[in-house]
This record gives sequence, structure tokens and C-alpha cells, in this order.
Amino acid sequence: MTLFERVFNGNDAVYGLTEQAIDAAIAQHGEDKAVSFPDTAYCLPCYYAVTGVKVTNLKELKEALGVVKTLMTREPRLNDAFMSGVATALCAEFIEALKYIDGATPYEQPLYGHLGDAVIRELGVPLVTGDIPGVAVVLGSAPTVEEGVALVKSYQAQGILVTLVGGICDQVAEAGMNTGANVRVIPLGKDVTSVIHVVSVALRAALIFGNIKPGDAAALMEYTFKRVPAFVNAFAPLDDVIVACGAGAIALGFPVVTNETENIFRVPKSLIVQEDVSKFNATSLEARDIKIKITNIDIPVAFASAFEGEIIRRKEMQVEFDGSRVDCAELVQTKEMSEIEDHKITIVGPDVDEMELGSKNSIAYVVEVAGKSMQPDFEPVIERKFHNYINCIEGVYHTGQRDMQRIRIGIPAFNAGFRLKHIGEVLYASVKNEFEAVVDKCQVTIYTDPAECTRIRHEVAIPTFNKRDDRLRTLTDESVDVYYSCILCQAFSPSHVCVVTPERLGLCGAVSWLDAKATNELDPNGPCQIITKERPIDERIGEYEDVNEAVRKFSQGALEDVSLYSIMEKPMTSCGCFECICGIEPFSNGVCIANREYAGMTPLGMTFPELASMTGGGVQTPGFMGHGKHFIASKKFMKAEGGIERIVWMPKELKEFVADRLNETAKELYGIENFTDMIGDETVATDPETLVEFLTEKGHPALGMDPMM
Amino acid sequence: MPFNRKPQKFNASIKEVVIGCGEKAITLGGESVFPFYTFDGDMKNAPKVGVEISDMGIPEVAGIKAYYEGCTTMGEIAKKASEMEGADFVCLRLEGGDPNGANKSVEELVAVVKEVADAIDVPLAVEGCKNVEKDSELLAKVAEALQGKNALILSAREENYKAVGAAAGLAYEQKVGAESAVDINLAKQLNVVTTQLGVKADNIVMNVGTASAGYGYEYVVSTMDRIKAAALSQGDAMLQMPIVTPVSSETWGVKESMASEEDMPEWGPVEERGISMEVMTASADLACGSDAVILMHPQSVATISKMIKELM
Repeated sequence: MTLFERVFNGNDAVYGLTEQAIDAAIAQHGEDKAVSFPDTAYCLPCYYAVTGVKVTNLKELKEALGVVKTLMTREPRLNDAFMSGVATALCAEFIEALKYIDGATPYEQPLYGHLGDAVIRELGVPLVTGDIPGVAVVLGSAPTVEEGVALVKSYQAQGILVTLVGGICDQVAEAGMNTGANVRVIPLGKDVTSVIHVVSVALRAALIFGNIKPGDAAALMEYTFKRVPAFVNAFAPLDDVIVACGAGAIALGFPVVTNETENIFRVPKSLIVQEDVSKFNATSLEARDIKIKITNIDIPVAFASAFEGEIIRRKEMQVEFDGSRVDCAELVQTKEMSEIEDHKITIVGPDVDEMELGSKNSIAYVVEVAGKSMQPDFEPVIERKFHNYINCIEGVYHTGQRDMQRIRIGIPAFNAGFRLKHIGEVLYASVKNEFEAVVDKCQVTIYTDPAECTRIRHEVAIPTFNKRDDRLRTLTDESVDVYYSCILCQAFSPSHVCVVTPERLGLCGAVSWLDAKATNELDPNGPCQIITKERPIDERIGEYEDVNEAVRKFSQGALEDVSLYSIMEKPMTSCGCFECICGIEPFSNGVCIANREYAGMTPLGMTFPELASMTGGGVQTPGFMGHGKHFIASKKFMKAEGGIERIVWMPKELKEFVADRLNETAKELYGIENFTDMIGDETVATDPETLVEFLTEKGHPALGMDPMM
Repeated sequence: MPFNRKPQKFNASIKEVVIGCGEKAITLGGESVFPFYTFDGDMKNAPKVGVEISDMGIPEVAGIKAYYEGCTTMGEIAKKASEMEGADFVCLRLEGGDPNGANKSVEELVAVVKEVADAIDVPLAVEGCKNVEKDSELLAKVAEALQGKNALILSAREENYKAVGAAAGLAYEQKVGAESAVDINLAKQLNVVTTQLGVKADNIVMNVGTASAGYGYEYVVSTMDRIKAAALSQGDAMLQMPIVTPVSSETWGVKESMASEEDMPEWGPVEERGISMEVMTASADLACGSDAVILMHPQSVATISKMIKELM
């Protein structure tokens, strides 16, 4: 028998029963007998939600059954099966409604049956906020009482609302488990038709919380699919009626997980066979894309940003791990969903209590993550937060990154029971919480075995870092389709908008194109928005219609147009966070750059603070530009005016910081060797005359270029 | 050359949000001109004045105590507040809910809310205790208790907009006050995420942050200015919600309103100073674009409502 036939058979069976039940009720009470569920303004809720028609008496119920019949088409197509599933659910609602005739109370404690509107409004709020992360519908009898109770408890522990239908109600009662809405375990009823009471909750939630118009079935199903995180766990054996109900659940977007293996058909993401009941929880959460918020991290010491600045001195330290002396590494790796067991923490090598007091050891931790929206580009963004996470542990200190990190665990933390697995717990919980939008599953492996650390460092980590660096080098403004805005600083610089491109990072130096991309992915309404670059106006100065539109919008009209590569024509504005300021030096046709740390005078006759007062505040000042340190070696650095060849002066410290990369760019662009040797600094000159003498002596190319103004 | 007046007209307007029910319901917003630029066009609805009362009782200010003299229950206080000259609505502030203060239970506070709601026929706004966790729970219950009253729930913030927004804006059909801290982008972002939650834009008002005049107040001015400009000249629908600004909760706590006359003889009588701070701040808020202000002192309420009438 095909799956379609099973659905159709089940649907026919339920329809037959419903028809008989309605006819019998009419025979007994007459057509005008009122039908309704208690405490709801939406009667009958499911039928009303789907069709927009309210049913109030048996006559109308009979007519409604006629409408249901029209849904029961019998082509072997997916839509027919879904609609038959919906028809089955509506029939179930009718059967259940008949139970309530004459104000009867067909369900008694601990069974709930129909749930009133007030319950939905109350449950709806935590559902919307995610405090109830999902709704489980457990149907049938678990293989054993213990397995059934364990499953229900596993959901309960995650805050998931569990509704029970059929044999599981008895199993839970037998085990003496406390149930009720207050503990989020709701036994609905023992007949399979009582499942409609949870469907009714989902559909009324759509009407109340989703502003869905009754009768707009398409919008209704979209709402339940997108906003009601429900799923079904159906225990074997499944009869045709349950299969038909399952089709209805799937039509609403609720996947069905079952341990039935006989005569069942697997439909990816919708009908899932999981023979091991103990894995129902994980399978269901993955299928429904439910993420559980981790509210407390299971470690024996405190975890808070208050401990971030804590320093652990040698004599207070139990052990240390030091990447500058022995092989260490910290790494995030993207994996496939199936390769990761969520929350698995593995230790390879000795734990802290097996290390000598005060000893120096190797450590390498690899955090493997998977998620539908995860991209390898986010790996370094996540990795960079490790410093922060580990530092927030009370009594643990972390510096450095990549394969140069150093960690110290203090004696009090060790005595409180802090061990390596707790580093794993912290990394796991922090990554899952902060990167919830991209990380669905995460596992952590911590190596302290020296040979393994050497292997991880040299065979896994360093090749990964090299690959990332290569990727960064090949990322050019031309090789990407979009740029990003950043308006993080508008709180104090209201009209400023940064346009972040691969070759021009934010002027604060803290937001690269990859950071902006990750920020956008993690917080789609946040400060970094996508800017397209499809309509170039002038490639020379890097002006685009799209960019101008974005800048106008994000500056609320304060800025009209900006160029990406010019300091003279429509330069980008600055907030005030710039790492460096570049200003035009007319005597040499060049520019001087001063960094924030530099306290002295520049050949422009202004100090950094004086330059800053002219450059900040979100205004366009031709001839002056704020930028990040890394932008100095970019090929796009004031490209419109000739590029880095114009740089004639920088403080010595800054010059040394950028020398390698700047020289490389100069060699590539102009064939100049050791370009930084031609650039003046405060030891050479802080006035233009001496500077020009120096530049002439060195044969600096800027002297021969056209004046900038 | 003769003076040629050019009206500054906009195609966009601030959304109209109705608070309360029946004859005394008020409409906030609706203007398509800058604040009080009645020479450019019609403001449609005059800005409104709310009277703040607190679950902690009547403050120790002689003029306020005198006004409420004889009132013993919260219901009586609320009724008296609603009858204040110039009052358009009452704002009940549940400051006693603060876990770091009196830490009253949610049940106790909800009972106060019900008592107040039953005592008045003017629209009601309810302000939480400012503790985000407590407010999530408290304001959800308040919204439930006020079903059918079309009350304004202040406020949903970045940390708890889901709980407050879902309860007030979706489950119990109240109006949601979205509160941000003096930043146009945060104000807009909160409106965006609140509407994504499913709350209709017409059911949201903003509290874009406030300060007492002289206490970083220029940030408030520029934030409100920019919001009104973006809403009207750029037609930014996510900034077209009317603005409600609680004033008294800021101004009565600053030293100008609190320092005793013995300590500061050159400043004059303390109550007069308190009123001045309240009136100055409120008038500036209105001039910058607030569609409603919330005040405490009867004299301030009378003064500000008179100012509004004369400027309309």
C-alpha cells in the first residue's frame, strides 16, 4: 500500500465515523442543538480558522461536514494527501465537539481535552518570546513506560510544551509524573481524535497572535509552519487513522517522528523514522529547527564579564598553557550537521588534576559547528570571541589567539573543581547563545596530549589559518557582490555612515567586511545592512548609485553622495572612532597620516586631536579622511588620487606596524622596493620644509605627481 | 521684495494611535507638519497630557499632596488625577514592582491596576518598574487584566519587547509603548522587530528616551528632531509612530527639584523649582515632537495644557 492510500484510507475511516456520530447526534438531539467548545470565541476553532465559517449547531455541523468532503480528493498527489490530512483533523474536531454537547465534561483530571482561549493567550506569549521553544505532540504508547517518561521529561527539561495523546497519558500517570499546564506537560485525551485540541491551540494562536484572517487557509498554514514550532512523536504501531492525522500535521508544517518501521515511507524533514526512542528529542529538534537557549553554564565557578579583566599571577596559578612555548591552538571548524553530536565535549590527554602544579602545558581546542546558515567566513569571527568567553570565567585568564594563546587556571578555580571540560562547557554555551542565528549544533574537543596538540596545530590549525589569510588577500572590492553599511556610531555621530568593503574596513579598524557580513547575518535588523553595488557612476573614485542611495537613507538625508576611493571628491565621512587620520600635505603633493596613539606634531601643523576635530562628526571634509590602520596597505587607499604613492609621512610606530604590507603593495603597484624608507616620520621632520628636503633626497614619487588641488 | 511664505508640507504623516475607549478616548499623532508648525498645515490632533500616579502613593510635595487630600485608596487617587485640569489620560507607574525596591508581587500590582482602571473613565497608560525581567512578567499580566480597555503599556524595550509586545500587542490587544535610549537607530530597530513579531505598526507608540532639561537634554532634542524629520520628509514608516514622553519621572529626581531651600537658599522655594523643571522639560519635549507628555504636578499639567491650546 502506498503512503497516499494509507492517508486516504485513514481519512475515509474517520470521515465515516464522523458522519455516523453527527447523524446519531441529530437523531438524538435534533438539528438545532447547539455545539460548541467551552471558553472559546472561535467556534469550532479549527474549522473556523480554515474556512472562516462559524459552526454553532448540529445542522451547521452537518453542512460543514459536506465542506470537509470536498477537501477529500483522491488523486495520488501530495496536495491531495495534505488536504485529506486536514480533512481528518477537521473530522476529529467535529467528533470531539459532539462530546461537549449539553455542557458535558468529557475529560476529567488529569486529562485536559479542549483548551480555552485564556490558556492560549497565556501560552502564546512565552511561545512568541521563545521561552517555550517548541510544542511536542506525543502520540500513542511508548515501547516502555520508562522510555515514554524519559522522552517527556527530556522535553520538559528544555522548556518545551508537551501534549500527550493516547497510551502515553496512562504511561505518564503510571509513573506518577506530575502533569498540568503549569509544568508544561498536558495530557489531552486517550482517543486519537483528542489530538485536535493541540491543533486547535496552534490555529487559534495564528488568529490571535498572527492576525490571520479566518478562512485564509494559505496564510494560516504559512503561519503555523513558520511561527508555531510544533512537531509530532508518534509511537509504533501506526494505523491508517494516525497516518492520516500525520498528513494533517505535516500540512501545517509539523514534522512527524516515529519509530514505526513497517509499511512506512520516509519523507525528508516531514516524516522521519527514528527507531531509537531515546533519540526522538534530538531528531525532532533538528527536524523542526528548534534551538534551546542555554540559560546557565554548568561550571563550578562564576561566569561574567566582571571577571574579564582578572589577571592571574604565576604564584596564584595552578597550571598554564602557553602557545609561545609549546604547541597550542584554538580553532573553529565548520562541519556537516550529521558529523556533529550537539553538546559533546571530549578531552584527549591529561586533565588539569593530572598536571603538575605550576606546569606549562599544551592545549588545543577545536570547536566544531554546523548550521544551515553557517559559513566558513564566520569561523574567525566566532574564534575571536574565545578570548572574551574564556576570560569571563572566574579564576581563568586568556590572552592571544590562533596558535599563540596563553591560558592560566588559578588555584582557587582549580580547588573549586574547575577542569578542562568546563572550558568546553563555556565555549559550547557561549557559541550556541551568541551565534544562535548560524550555529545549530556544536561540539568541542580539547586536546592536551602533547603529540595531538602538535598534530592539531601543524596539520589542522595552521593550514586553516593560511587558507583564511589567503582568502582575505584575494577578497577584493571587485570580487564581491555587496558591501555593508555600518551605523554603529550614529548614537554620537548622527549623520555618519561607514561603507565597509573588503579592501576598505571600517575606519575604527574593528569592522572588516567579513565582520559586517557576520553582523548582518546574526542581527538582520542591526547596524550592518547589505548595500548592493550594481549601478556604478564612476569607477575611478568608486561611486555607485546604490551606495549613494544607501548613504542617503542611513544618514536620514544628511549625506547625498560618497565615493569609496577618493579623499578629494565626495570623501567618506568619519564618526570619531578613526584609528588614523590622513590629511593632504600641499608642499609635497602628498598626504600625512597620524594615528591616534601619536601625541606629537605632524608636518600639517596639527596634532592628531586637532586633525580629529576637523575630520569627525559625520561631515565630508575634502582633503581629510579617517580610516583604519589596515586600510593603509590597501590598493584602494585613495586610489582616485594615485594611491599609496601619495603617503609622505607617518609616525614611526605606525610606519613599522604597516611596513611589511605597505611595501608589498607598493612593489606590486609601482615596482618600488622598501617604499616605507621613502616615507618621513617624526624623527625626520615635523615641518613641511624639512620633510620635502627628505623626500627629494629619497626620490619620493609623490613629488613628481600632479597637485591634489 | 515682499515676504513670500512657503509652507513646509509633507506627504507623510505620523500614524494615529487611539488610546482608551468611548467618548474620552484620545488620538495621538496624525500630524503632517513639524511640531506646532500650524502655519504650515493642520496638526490634526493636539498633543496630549497625562497625569502620573504611582502605586507607591502620593509624593511628598506639598502642592501635590494638597491636590489629592482626602484620597486614601488608589482608586480615589486615580479618579482625582483624571479630573485634574488639563488632563487627557492617567499614567499609572508601578515603581513598587522593582526587585531592588519595594519588590511588590505581580498579583498585588495587578490588583492596583484593576482598581485604577475601574475608577477612571479616561484612557489609562501603565508604566512598569523598569526592571526588564520583572516588567516582562508584570506587564504581560497587566495587559491581560486590562482586556477591553485599549490601554497603553509602557514599555517594551530591546530586552523584553517580545514578552511585552506579544502580550500587550497580540494577545490582549492593547497599545505597545516601545522604549529606546535616545538613539534614532535603536528606536527604529525596536519598531522593526516589534512589527516583525506581528504587532501592527498602528498599535505602537514610541518613548524614544528622555532626560530632564539640563541633563544631556540636547541628545533628546536631536533624537526627536531627527525622528520627526525622517518620519515626515523621508516617509520612513518605521519612525512614524507617535512619541509619548514621560517627564515627571525624570524631572522630580534631579537636584534642582530636590535640594532643600535651606541647602540652596539662592535657588528659591523647592516646589516652584520642581514645577519649573517639569514645565521646561515638557514644553521642550513637545516642541521637539512629543505627541504626549506625562506630568505629575497639577500646576504643570494646567500650564502645559494651556500652552498646547494656545499654540494650536
